[in-house]
Order: sequence, then structure tokens, then C-alpha cells
Amino acid sequence: MKLGVVKAYMLKELTELLRTRLIVMVYLMPSMILILFGYGIRMDVSHARTLIIDNDQSKYSRALTSKFEHSRYFDATVTQMSEKEALHRIKQATTDIIVIIPSSFQKRLLHGQKSEIGVFVDAAFPTRATTMESYVQGVILNAAQEATQNLGTPKGLIIINNRNLFNQAMRDEDAIVPGLIGLVLLVAPAILAALLIVKEKENGTIFNFYASALSKREFLAAKLIPVFLLHSVNIFILFLMATKLFDVPFRGSFTLYWLTSELYILISLSIGMLISVVTKRQIVAVVLTVIITIIPGFLYSGILMPISSMVGESYIEAHMFPVMYYTHILYDTFLIGEGLASAKTQLYLLILVFYALGMLSLGTLFLKKELK
Amino acid sequence: MNRVFWAILGKELLAFLRSAGLVAMVLYSFTIDIYIAGEGIQIKPRNVHIGYVDETGGGISQKILTHLHTPEFLPPKRYRSQKELSRSIFNKETLVGLVFDREFEKDFRQGKKAQLNVLLDATAASQSFTTLGYLQNIVLDFSELDLPVAIKTHKLFNENADNKSFMALTELLSVITLLIVILTAVVFVKEKEEGTWEIMLLMPVDPRLIILAKSLSQVFIVMAGVVLALGFVVFGAFHAPMNGSFWAFMLLTFLYSFSSAGIGLFVAAVSNSVLQVAQFSIIIMMPLIFLSGAWTPVYAMHPVLQVLSFFSPLRYYIEGSESIFYRGTEWIDLWPYFSGVMLLGALLYWYGFRKIGKLF
Repeated sequence: MKLGVVKAYMLKELTELLRTRLIVMVYLMPSMILILFGYGIRMDVSHARTLIIDNDQSKYSRALTSKFEHSRYFDATVTQMSEKEALHRIKQATTDIIVIIPSSFQKRLLHGQKSEIGVFVDAAFPTRATTMESYVQGVILNAAQEATQNLGTPKGLIIINNRNLFNQAMRDEDAIVPGLIGLVLLVAPAILAALLIVKEKENGTIFNFYASALSKREFLAAKLIPVFLLHSVNIFILFLMATKLFDVPFRGSFTLYWLTSELYILISLSIGMLISVVTKRQIVAVVLTVIITIIPGFLYSGILMPISSMVGESYIEAHMFPVMYYTHILYDTFLIGEGLASAKTQLYLLILVFYALGMLSLGTLFLKKELK
Repeated sequence: MNRVFWAILGKELLAFLRSAGLVAMVLYSFTIDIYIAGEGIQIKPRNVHIGYVDETGGGISQKILTHLHTPEFLPPKRYRSQKELSRSIFNKETLVGLVFDREFEKDFRQGKKAQLNVLLDATAASQSFTTLGYLQNIVLDFSELDLPVAIKTHKLFNENADNKSFMALTELLSVITLLIVILTAVVFVKEKEEGTWEIMLLMPVDPRLIILAKSLSQVFIVMAGVVLALGFVVFGAFHAPMNGSFWAFMLLTFLYSFSSAGIGLFVAAVSNSVLQVAQFSIIIMMPLIFLSGAWTPVYAMHPVLQVLSFFSPLRYYIEGSESIFYRGTEWIDLWPYFSGVMLLGALLYWYGFRKIGKLF
């Protein structure tokens, strides 16, 4: 190992990062993604703009409308609008839900007859529509149950007693932010590393390396160590943002979180480096990294869909990318807190170690030290 | 003048077609990328793993379990004890655990309130929440409650809540934004890198004409991509509905691409190399895309973000496109989207125009 040369190379890398203002990317991008996605993604529906057309204006219909008015899921307005006008409001995208209470609602209710409540949901945003639909049904059925309890005793009632493990309040932040860290620490280091070598190829300075006494391994080490150290700071920044800004609880061991994250950054860097080794143009390297990291990072991080629900190709693909293993440990350290006591965490940690070793040796394998 | 304009436009189109890598990238983004997004991203519960512990004789519990069927749920798996069930939830192999304890069936038969214990892995909040909703409905059917109301729901514009065409459309809109900004910026920065941009500005041709022709050429490329994506993916593979006017969408897309080309001009003005273009566009685009309401409707965002989102032209574009595709909104009701896109577009274009058109 020619320590002196490696050190000089590392110093050169660091200065270059500072001078080209790439350093801004190192710290700005991860935090920005976390803030934007963390505040921006809401799976939960709240404040759905609801129009209630109450054609009955009776005690029972008011009991029902007040249920809507007191729910945080709906911003309800009771009106006397015609159905057609209300539909027009949906077309203008100023209303999400219309609830229509028929005119003889109370009379039929007291006579024990069924009356039909019409619900119109704007399904231009399909998943939200399904959620809104189930919320509306929940409110109406709940009100109906209360009404019937006053009228007579029900028999054979099953009550669901649910315990929401790991995230009692079902906060979106708790469910999303750890997954986002997994995404961020995949994308940001990979994009940075993707440019490291291809940049020299495009500028022609790669010949310095061809002519130098450095071995391939030393060259890679000199390239990766500075960015690795710079990105390691992000582990702490992201941790602080998650726990302080988004109030995500942290129940596991910090050491486990820290070490796994370092390992994961190494993997992301080596994915980027591998791209950098095989491509010839910077723009191609950037675009390729974005394609390879962002979409799988999103799909397999568990933000949108639990891995256990995947079948077929997506199940296999999920196991091919490192995101899944890392986010499993992330969710464990943040929300569950089992730590290394769980055999699955141990296995996943081991897989990450081998992943890192594998990617690094592939990079060394493909890197050329002479002109072809 | 006209001849110069068309010559520059043609030259840019030719340069684009000659660079195989760029063509491949644009084709990929407009077809496969959109297809993957539509096919892959599903937020509805699908194949949810359910585990259960049954300490009853199995009469009612089995009847409840038969209601949990595909495609939303995988066949429920039986565990021998609560401990095994919770271990499987802790390992994230099971999303929802049902515990039928001994009292459950007895209470139910005697007409008392029977309690069904449900354990939810709330790290997948939306899936487990929807599953809970399903369970509540199933259980309600069992209780011989004759509720005096019936609910008739209409999911307007998209009766099956088909998520695929929606995700594909959203992805298409993001791809348009990304490509128009990057392509426009790269066209100018490449000249800057090679030092030919100064020469262009010094030529006895109006610089405004050059800039207009160059950015228009990229708008054309993106428009061609949009037609491809609509034909093959959005309508072809996912059968998206088109309840409004197709031409309204095309016009809106054209205006939007033009205004985003303005962002590209700005990016080109502040960066000196392709690398910096990549950086700046990512930093500018990410907020634009996420403030646009592509993922969360604007009114459900943090109040500060809501105000900021007024400045994202993508917001008007996405809302407008959703309205055209799904809601089938009339031309007259589309004016907020058109005016939003045009106003912001004019501003952005004017600013980028001034920045890039100056020699020093």
C-alpha cells in the first residue's frame, strides 16, 4: 500500500468536491428529500372536503351530520344544494365527497324501514377514494349502530379490539420516515459515487491513474473513503431529523442503527462506483443511477407496500436490492426495538455485509488500469 | 428570419436523433418507466398476510376467515400460540394477526358482546388500516344487526378505483417535467461547454430567435414522447379513461412544457457543465414534483407547503390533467389550470430568457 500516494489522491478528491460545489449535494439532497417526502406524503386522508345534502332536516339526520362535522377526517359543510350543482363542484375539484340524506330519513328510521344514503366520492385519485369511502361508511355505520342501540338491544355483536403494534397512533410519519432514510441513503451516495470515475474519463484525467503507481484497489479506496466519510455525517443528520423534526420514536440500539447505516452507505457508494466504472459519459451515469436506485428504492423500501405482500417477480426483485434488508433493520431500530435478538435481523445484517463485499469486488474486477 | 428559426430547430432535432444514448433515455422514460410505475406501485392492500390463533371450536372463526380472500388477502395462516403469532408479526412476515380466544364463540352464541382481538403491524399504516376496515365490515355482517340504513356509494369517474392508469398518468406528468427541464438545459449548456454559445450570441441573428427555436425543438421532442406514452402505455396498456377533451390535454401539455422549458433556461444560465445541470435540476425539480399534489392533494399538506405549492406550475398541470382525464371537466371550468400554467410559464420563461440571452 502506497499510503502517501493514496493520501494525496484523497486530498485531491476532497478539494475537488469542495471546489465543484458537489459538497452541497452531499448534505442538501438527503435532508431535502426527507423533509419534502416526510411532510409531503400522506397516505392517511384528513380534511376531505365533504358536502352533506340534508334533505330531511330532522333530529336523526342532524345527529348523522354532526358526526361528520366532528370528525377530523372531514371538513363537512351542510347545504341545500341540488345534486347537480354538487356534482359540478366535484368536477371543478373543489369537493371530494357528497353525502345525500333522503327526505324521509327519520320517519323511515323510526318505522324500522331501510333508507338509502347516497355517497359520491371523487375517484380521480383512486387510493384516496377507497380510503375516503371506508371512512364515510365507518361514520354512517357507527351512527346507525348508536341509533339502533337507542331503539332496541342488538344481539350477537362482535366488537373488534385492535392493537396497533409499533405505531399506536397510526402516524404517517412513523410509518414513512424510516423507509425514507433507506431511500435517501441509497440514492444520494450512489449519485455522488457514479460521477467520481466517469468524470475523470470524460475529462481525460483518468490517464493520470493509468500512468500512476496506484493499484486498482488503492485507487478505489482513495476515491471512496472521502465520500464515505462525508456521507457518514448524514447518518446522524437524518437520525436527528427523524427523531426531533418528525418525532419518530427510537426504540432500538443506536449502535446497530449506526453500524448498519455505515455498511449501507458503503453498498450505495459501490453501486454508484460500479456504474461509474462501466459508463463513459457523465450524463448517462447520472441517469442510469437515478433509474437503478430511485424506483426500486421506493418500491422495496416498505413505504408503499410491505414486502410480505409482494408476489412473483417483485418478490424476487425486492430480495435482489439492498433496500429491503436495510429498511427492515431501520424499522426495527426505530419502531420495534428487537435488535440483534431477532434471528432475522442477524441474517439481514450478514446479507448486507456480503452485499458490500460483493459490490466492491465487482467494481475492482471491472475497473481497467490500461487503455483498451 | 423564418428560415433561420427553422434551421436552428431542425439542427437541434437532428442532433437529438443522432445521439443514440439520449434517444434511448427518452424512449425508456416515456414507455418502460411509466409502465413500471403503473404496474408496480399499488397502495391498496394486496396479498396481505394474515395469521390467526384459534382457541374456539372453529365455527364462527372459520366463517369469518373465509371472507378474507384473494386478491386482497393471502389464505390466513394458523399459528399454535399467540407467542408464535407475535413473533411472526415482529419479523414482519405477517401484517395482521387475529386472535379468537375461548370466550369469543361462547359470548357470541349467548348473544353477548364477543371480542375479537386484532394485532396490526402499523408500520404499514395504510394497508393495516384498510384491512381493519374490511374486518369491521365482515364482522358487521355477522352480527345480526338490522341496520336501518343502506349506503350506496358511487366512485365517480373511476368506478373500480383502478390505480394503474392513475399512477401511470402521474408518472407521465413527472417524466415530462424532468425531461423538458434537463433536455432544454443540456442543449444550451453543451454549447456553453464547447464555447459555441458566445459565438451564437454574437451572430447577426436575434438571440431571442435562437433561444426560442432551441427550446421549442425540445418541446417538440417531449410532445412526441407524450404521444408515444399515451398511445402505448396510458391508453394502450392501462386503458385510462378519457372523459374530457383530448385536445385540451394536449394544449395544456404544450403550454406546460413551454413554461418548464423556462426552468430549463434558468438552470442552463446558472450552470457551466452538464454535471451542474444534473445537480441543479434535481434540486429544483424535487420540490416542484412533491409540491404539486402528485402524491398528496394540496389541501392536505402542511400549510406552509400549501402556499409554496401555488408557485409550482406542475400543480396546475397535474390538477388540470386529472380533471381532463377523470373528471371530464368542461373547457370553461379548466381556466384556473390554463391561466396558472400560462402565468407561471410566462414568468419563468421571461426570467430564463433574460438570464441566458445575455453575453456577460
